[in-house]
Amino acid sequence: MIDTATSPGPEPVEHEAGSSFWQDARHRLWMNKLAVFGLAVVSILGVLCFVSYLCPHLTGYTYEQQNLALGPTPPNHAHWLGTDPLGRDLLARLLYGGGISLMVGLYATGVSLAIGVIYGAIAGFAGGKADMVMMRIIDILYALPFVIFVILIMVFFGQSIKLMFIAIGAVEWLTMARIVRGQVMAIKRQEFVEAAHALGLKRRRIIFRHIVPNLLGPIIVYATLTMPEVILLESFLSFLGLGVQPPHSSWGVLIKEGAEVMEEYPWLLIYPGAVMALTLFSLNFLGDGLRDALDVRGSKD
Amino acid sequence: MPLLIVENLSTSFHTRNGVVRAVQDVSFQLERGETLGIVGESGSGKSVTCYSIMGLVPQPPGRIEGGRALFGDVDLLACSHRQLNRIRGRRISMIFQDAMTSLNPFLRIGEQLIEPLMIHENIARAAAMDRALAMLNEAGIPEAEHRLKMYPHEFSGGMRQRVMIAMALITKPDILIADEPTTALDVTVQAQILELIRKMQNELGMAVILVSHDLGVVSGFCNRVMVMYAGRVMESAQIDDLFYDTKHPYTRGLQKSIPALQMKGEELHTIPGQPPDPHRLPPGCPFAPRCGHAVEYCAKEEIRLLEVAPNHRTSCLRVQKENLPV
Amino acid sequence: MSSAEKFLEIHNVKTHFPVEKGFLFRRRLGAVKAVDGVTLTLRQGEILGLVGESGCGKSTLGRTILQLIRPTEGTVSLEGQSLTALRGASLRRARSAFQTVFQDPYASLNPRMTVFDALAEAMRAHVRVPRQELPGRIAALLQKVGLSPQAQRRYPHEFSGGQRQRIAIARALAVEPKLLVADEPVSALDVSIQAQIINLLARLCREMGLTLLFISHDLSVVKHIADRIAVMYLGRIVEIGPAADVIEKPLHPYTKALISAVPIPDPRREAKRARILLPGDPPSPLNPPGGCPFHPRCLYAIERCAQVVPVLEPFGQTERQASCIRMREINAE
Repeated sequence: MIDTATSPGPEPVEHEAGSSFWQDARHRLWMNKLAVFGLAVVSILGVLCFVSYLCPHLTGYTYEQQNLALGPTPPNHAHWLGTDPLGRDLLARLLYGGGISLMVGLYATGVSLAIGVIYGAIAGFAGGKADMVMMRIIDILYALPFVIFVILIMVFFGQSIKLMFIAIGAVEWLTMARIVRGQVMAIKRQEFVEAAHALGLKRRRIIFRHIVPNLLGPIIVYATLTMPEVILLESFLSFLGLGVQPPHSSWGVLIKEGAEVMEEYPWLLIYPGAVMALTLFSLNFLGDGLRDALDVRGSKD
Repeated sequence: MPLLIVENLSTSFHTRNGVVRAVQDVSFQLERGETLGIVGESGSGKSVTCYSIMGLVPQPPGRIEGGRALFGDVDLLACSHRQLNRIRGRRISMIFQDAMTSLNPFLRIGEQLIEPLMIHENIARAAAMDRALAMLNEAGIPEAEHRLKMYPHEFSGGMRQRVMIAMALITKPDILIADEPTTALDVTVQAQILELIRKMQNELGMAVILVSHDLGVVSGFCNRVMVMYAGRVMESAQIDDLFYDTKHPYTRGLQKSIPALQMKGEELHTIPGQPPDPHRLPPGCPFAPRCGHAVEYCAKEEIRLLEVAPNHRTSCLRVQKENLPV
Repeated sequence: MSSAEKFLEIHNVKTHFPVEKGFLFRRRLGAVKAVDGVTLTLRQGEILGLVGESGCGKSTLGRTILQLIRPTEGTVSLEGQSLTALRGASLRRARSAFQTVFQDPYASLNPRMTVFDALAEAMRAHVRVPRQELPGRIAALLQKVGLSPQAQRRYPHEFSGGQRQRIAIARALAVEPKLLVADEPVSALDVSIQAQIINLLARLCREMGLTLLFISHDLSVVKHIADRIAVMYLGRIVEIGPAADVIEKPLHPYTKALISAVPIPDPRREAKRARILLPGDPPSPLNPPGGCPFHPRCLYAIERCAQVVPVLEPFGQTERQASCIRMREINAE
C-alpha cells in the first residue's frame, strides 16, 4: 500500500495559521497580568516624565522654582505632593527627576548592552582559548569594587550626567557579556544551527539569520532587568552626592533630601521612595513576564 | 478474585488551551501473577492510566473525572492519602522509562534502595542494607557491595534500570507497573532487563503491568494485552487472540505497519494521517478518520468496550454490530 | 570499477576525541575512539543501513562522512573527489552534493523561520534562484514529501513530529544532493508514522537516484529499506552484506546476539525463539578491550580472541564480510 499521507491529515491548529514566535510571545505576555501592569506603569510614568522634561511648567511649577516664603508644606490643593524646605514643588521635581533617572537607566543600559553584547558574542563564537581568556578577564573585573571604581571615574573626570551613564554602563556590561556568551554557546550547539552548517550556508548567514534572532529574546529580557539595577545605582550615587547635582533632581537626590528631613517632613521621603519602588517593581515584573513569554522551547506539547 | 479492578477510569487535564481528555472510560482487571501489556503510541493515555492508578497525576491541572481502581477493598482513586502511601511502594511499585531522572543524583544507591524498607517496614538499618545487597545480587549487578556506596551517575543505563527494579521489588510488592522500562535502552540490554523482570516475577509471584509502544516487547512477555488510542481502550484480549484473531482495525494497522525482522516485502503498510490532537478529539470513534473500514456511524456514535468473544473485548462499532472481519 | 561503483569511499577513517585534563596546559589522558578504522564503499543509488547500539560510533561515522567532524585519520571521497582534503569555502560549496536528516525533528528546524524561509534558504544556498520561481518550486518540493503547499506559511511548532521530519527531508532535498545521510530519522517518531517516513525515503531515493546511508539502532527498520547492512561495534564494522543475508544468516557473534535480542511481534514465534543473552553492558569507547573488541561478551571467544584484532574478511565467495577469526567455524554448514 502506497504512502497515502499526501495531506497532513487533521491539521493541528487550523485557526492559528502562521503564528510566529513573536506573535506567540506577545500573546503570552498579554496573558500575564503582572507584566501588563508593569508595562502600563512604566509606560505611563515614562510618558509623564518625558513630557515634563519638555514642558517644565506642566504642573504649574518648574523643578527648580523656589518659593522660600512658602517653605515646606504637606500635600495640598496647590502643590499636590507638597513642597520641600526651599518651597520647590515636589511633584515637579519628582517628574523631572524621574525623567533623569529613567534616562540614566536607558542610556546606561544601552552602554552596557553595546559593550556586553559585542564582547559576549565574540567570546561565544570564538570558543576555545580566546573565550577562556575573555571570561577570566570578566572574572577579574567582577572582583573589583565597582563603587570605588565609579567614584574614581567621577572624581577624575568630573561630574556630568553623561559621564555617569558611561561609568555605570561600564560596570554593568559584565553580566550582559556573560549572558550573551552563554546564549551564543547554547544556540551554537542547537541542532538547527548544525543543520544550517550542513546545508553549506555561509557563515555570515548562519550568524545573522540563525543565531542572532535567537539571541534577541534573552537580551531583551536582561536589558529590561538591568534597568532597575541601573536606576538603583544612580540613586545610590546621587545619595552619596556623586551623581546628579542640585538644582537638578533625580530620584536619588530626592530620596537623599527626603531622608535628611524625614522626621519632620515625611512626605518628602515617602513619595519619591514609593514612586521609585513602584517603578523598579514594574520593570521587574515586565522583565519576568518577558522572560516567560520569550523563553518557550518551541514544541506545543 | 482479581488483584486489581479498574472500572471506567477517566482522567483529564485542564490546560490553558482547553481540556485534554487523556484517559476515557478505561476498564480492565489484573489477576494475581498475570502480565498485562498496555500498548499504544504517544498520546494514547497508557502512561496516564498508570499514573492515575498510582495517584501520581498532579491535580491540578489533572483531574480524575471518574471511575474506580479497586485494590483489594481499597479504591485507590478515592482513598485517603495515608492509605495510598501504605500501598504505593509497598504493595504496588512502579518503574519508569528514564532511570537517570528517577534516581536521586545526590544519594548513594544504598540509601535509595533501603528507603522503601525504612518507610514501609519496621526494620533496622543494618538489616535493610543486607536486603538491599541481596536485591542487587538478584538483579544481576556485579560487585554489589561496592556498588551500594556509589552514585547513580556512576552506573550505565542498563545498570540504573536494574537498580530501579531492585528498588521497586525490595518490598516484594503484589503488582509491578513498568512504564516503558526498556525504551531508552539498547536492544541487547533491553533483552536482559525483560529477562530480569520475568525472573523476579516468577520468584515473587507478582503481577506485572507492562506499558510499551513496542508490540514486539509485549508479545514476548505478556499474557494479556490492552491496546489504547487517544485515551480509550480499542481492544483487550489474550495475547494470542490479539495477534491471530484481531478484532480492531487499529490493532491490525499497528501490526502491519511495524517494521519487523521477519516481515518480507518492500513497502510497509502505513496508517495514513496522524493521531488526533488531544485538545480536539473527533466525535464518535477517535480512530475513524484514519480507519480504512470506517462507515458513517463510526464518526457519530460513542464507542464502548464490549466483549465479543470469550475474554476478548473490542470497541470497534463495526465489529460489534456486523462482526466485521478485521 | 567505474565511478558509480565507488560512489562514496571511506578509507580507514578514525575519529578520536582526545580526553584532556588541566587548565592552561592540557594533559592528554587518552582518547575516545568513537570511530576506529572504518573502510566502506557505497555504490551509486544504493541504500546502506548502518546499525549498532549506543556507543558504537555510527552517528560519529555519519558526522565524519558529512565533514561535520573532521576525521583524525583516513579519507572520505565522493565520486572520486576527496572531501577530507577540502577546507573552508570549497568544503562549503561541496556540501551541495551531500546532505543529512537528523534524528530530532523538534530541534533540527529553526523555530523562528517559516517553512517557506527554511526551504528557500536551502534552495538558494548554492544556486541562484529567481525570487518569483521560489513559491512554485517550494510547493512542488512539499508535495513531493507528502505535505500540502499550505504548509509554506507556517512555523515548525505547528506541525507534528512526522510532518517536521518531512520538512527536514524536503530541506535536504532542496539542495539537490547525490548522497543523503539519515541519522536515526525515525527513532523519535511514533510507530505508525515511522512506516510513512521510511516509505517516503525509499521512494524518494529510487525516484531521484539518491544514495542513502541510513543510520539506525533499529534493525527491523533498516531491513525494510536497505540493500546492504553494516553492523558496527565499538567503532568498527564487524559485519557487512546484503540485508536479507545479514538478518537471516548472520555471521558475526555480535550480529547473532543483536538479532536474537530484537523482539518479534508474533507471540508464537517469540515463544519458540532461542535467545542469546549477552552478558554485561555495551563497552565504553574510552577504554576498549584489547584484541577483538567484542571478545569479553562473546559466547564463542577463545584465548586468541583477546590477542588478535580481527579485520573484515570475505565469507567464502560471497559479498559478505565479517571480522571474526572464528567466522568459518561458527557458521559451518
